[in-house]
Amino acid sequence: MIMTAMPTRSDRWTTLRPWLGLAARLGLAAVWLLAGASKVGDLAASGRAVNAYQILPYDVAVVVGAALPFVELALGVLLLLGLATRLVAGVSTALLVVFVAGIVSAWSRGLAIDCGCFGTGGELAAGQSPSYLPEILRDLGFLALAGFLITWPRTPVSVDAALAGDPTVEDDDE
Amino acid sequence: MSSRKGRKEAARVVREQMARERRRKRTLWASVAAIAVLVVAGLIGWSVWSGQRSGEVTVPTGANGDGTGIVAGSGPVTVDIYEDFLCPACKQFDESVGPTVDRLISEGKVRVVYHPVAYLNRFSTTQYSTRSSAASGCAAENGRFREYAKRLFAAQPAEGGTGLSDDQLADLAAEVGMDRNGFAACLRDGTFKPWTDRVTDEASRAGITGTPTVLVNGEELAERSPEGLTAAVEAAGR
Repeated sequence: MIMTAMPTRSDRWTTLRPWLGLAARLGLAAVWLLAGASKVGDLAASGRAVNAYQILPYDVAVVVGAALPFVELALGVLLLLGLATRLVAGVSTALLVVFVAGIVSAWSRGLAIDCGCFGTGGELAAGQSPSYLPEILRDLGFLALAGFLITWPRTPVSVDAALAGDPTVEDDDE
Repeated sequence: MSSRKGRKEAARVVREQMARERRRKRTLWASVAAIAVLVVAGLIGWSVWSGQRSGEVTVPTGANGDGTGIVAGSGPVTVDIYEDFLCPACKQFDESVGPTVDRLISEGKVRVVYHPVAYLNRFSTTQYSTRSSAASGCAAENGRFREYAKRLFAAQPAEGGTGLSDDQLADLAAEVGMDRNGFAACLRDGTFKPWTDRVTDEASRAGITGTPTVLVNGEELAERSPEGLTAAVEAAGR
């Protein structure tokens, strides 16, 4: 008599999902920390990079450019801690959608700029051509990570899980 | 029997409701904390940036009225040249079109405003774009902006490296007849770094996103060649 049941597909998904979620959370945290850290050293250049998109008025663009690196770092830290994961993933999604929209807009208007995604861009060095498509695809990859976390925000080794006490119970109202 | 079962059932429902209530509160406070962190981070960025903006700007001799560039010539047509001393295309422009610019100045046809912007700091490890632009301010103070700019282009370092040292920048100044010690002090004190920031910020405000950019009476010069510039200046002067 054979008693051992083969693990079903959904069983495997249930065991795997928290760890995929953890990978997505830490991956997105790394993205934000790198993006923020590369810009935080030169806030004026970050402002110029935002201004180069020619979407916001200059005075608004420079303030956005100054605040953005710190917000990105904060998003990275929150994801690293796993605090309010669904909300932070939602904010990440909103920000990434804005970035993609900005790049698409710059592309469609024929602007030749560096997206300034990592490191302060704005102006291209001589001989550099804009690489809009890879930048958009990369952002879509980041969006997929954020989407995973919005759908399944509960991940192991997180403040959320510690607060809930029982990491195996998925909250539906979180 | 059935009433005991009912009580048990009711207690379970109450427990679940309380648990749900606790979860909702927890989620609410976690969200409030996260949003507070994000808002505070943004405000920190804003205040750090505000603190970095230098209040006092020393504008070098020979600058235009709003202090965003160095003026040469006094002709009827205004030519704005935005250049970064680290930018290879700017060096190329200076070598191929520079003599034409000088001729147009000496013929009294143009008033040229050179804007030495620091756009390419991320392509050197020592903020060479800012340092070289501030050095050109020191040269302007000595009335030698143009001669010094030419030397800077001739000695242009490769992108991605350390750029020229402050010592080397002072050596170039001595080569075009400036007092080396005074020039070195000007670099050391960072006298014109705030000016470089202003030149750069104002260029960005004016929508200049690349170097070199040449404007003839405010219109961007598409063909950056001697013929292209001469034609554009003649068209604008008509």
